[in-house]
Amino acid sequence: MKVHYKINGKDYEFDIHPGKVLLDVLRENGFTEVKGNCYMGTCGACTVLINGTPKTSCTVLAAQINGAEITTVKGLGDILNPHPLQKAFVEKGAVQCGYCTPGTILAAYALLKENPNPTDEDIKKAIDGNLCRCTGYVQQVEAIKYAITLLKEGK
Amino acid sequence: MLKLKNVEECFYPKTLEEAIAILREKGDKAKVVGGGLHLTVFPNPQVEYFIFLDNLGLNYIREENGTVSIGATVTINNAAKSDLIKGLFSGNLSSALSLIASELLRNQITFGGSVAQREPYSDISTILLALDAEVVYFDGSEHTEKIDEFFETDFRAKLKDAIIKEVRFKKFDSSYKFGMERHVRNATDITLLNMAMLAQIEENKIKDIIVSYGSRPMPAIRFKALEDFLKGKDLNEAVKEVYNFAKENADVKGDIRRDEQYRRELTGVFAKRLLESFGR
Repeated sequence: MKVHYKINGKDYEFDIHPGKVLLDVLRENGFTEVKGNCYMGTCGACTVLINGTPKTSCTVLAAQINGAEITTVKGLGDILNPHPLQKAFVEKGAVQCGYCTPGTILAAYALLKENPNPTDEDIKKAIDGNLCRCTGYVQQVEAIKYAITLLKEGK
Repeated sequence: MLKLKNVEECFYPKTLEEAIAILREKGDKAKVVGGGLHLTVFPNPQVEYFIFLDNLGLNYIREENGTVSIGATVTINNAAKSDLIKGLFSGNLSSALSLIASELLRNQITFGGSVAQREPYSDISTILLALDAEVVYFDGSEHTEKIDEFFETDFRAKLKDAIIKEVRFKKFDSSYKFGMERHVRNATDITLLNMAMLAQIEENKIKDIIVSYGSRPMPAIRFKALEDFLKGKDLNEAVKEVYNFAKENADVKGDIRRDEQYRRELTGVFAKRLLESFGR
């Protein structure tokens, strides 16, 4: 079956098997910044924004969201023009092995869209589905708080 | 990883009548999809057709004539973050919802799906039982059943031929208190025991009360013996006595995650904690 998505602002049409999950459709079509791991929605590595809402793409049926707007971490910024969250994650040591980073940044991005002044508790809750086995989360929370400062300063 | 390799076709009905017609035509090979989480995590290789509910207009949370209605495709986060739900029970219902699973899954798990699956560890089932909620389902005509009675029937057989439209519950006034306790090994783990309580407290007396508990490890049910024990009691007296009664009379078992004694102990502790919170 054919599905249409707007991914990072560009229109795409894919011919997919109707039983596929979004994660596989994205990775098979070159969006390898979306990381696959558990296929059960438990780790958050495959997080993308679907119509602005962060979800685990390994548990979303690709056919169900035909017509959706999808944002991957590359939709926020790239190495030349990083988003303040991406800058902050690098500067605060919140990236170690890096496997959870795309998903965590997208979850944090969705939080800041909804709530530009979150408490530490709000931040922890927003990224509670994004498991990290390197940082112990301290640097991630610090990075998100630093990103808030960068955003306020317009950097 | 193609888990659902036998799927041939997807349907996007625009009315409940159309959805039911497809469900009847395709029978056991069709799967009604709300959020889709259960289906992707526990894939059924027999499924050949998806019936998506997204275009049926069931994504609503509203209050009408003293009743709160939550549409089947509303996610946990839709509800937890809605002003209507935040305004109930001093925010306690919203708080209880916002601790279920993880942020990402709260954006996918739907009320309809939670009721239809009735997983033993479901926090939604426990919450809806405590709220004395009703399930509204459609099989060509609309039916409304109390959720505890719905769960006591062969509801899975009913849902072979029906679709859950909404859950609804009374908008309780400020004399009612609500609370929930959950035991998990980590923040996003499945619940190993949960308890929800709704009580009407007047002049420090428990005028009316509903207690539900789940992940016992069996599915959520009402704890009617405890309800009867607490009804009419002075709240302070109830707090003193509830731990032992709940612990001794709990219908819980052990499993690979927690033994029976642990769950028994937790049942007593949760019941006491919830009653204490109602006195604050």
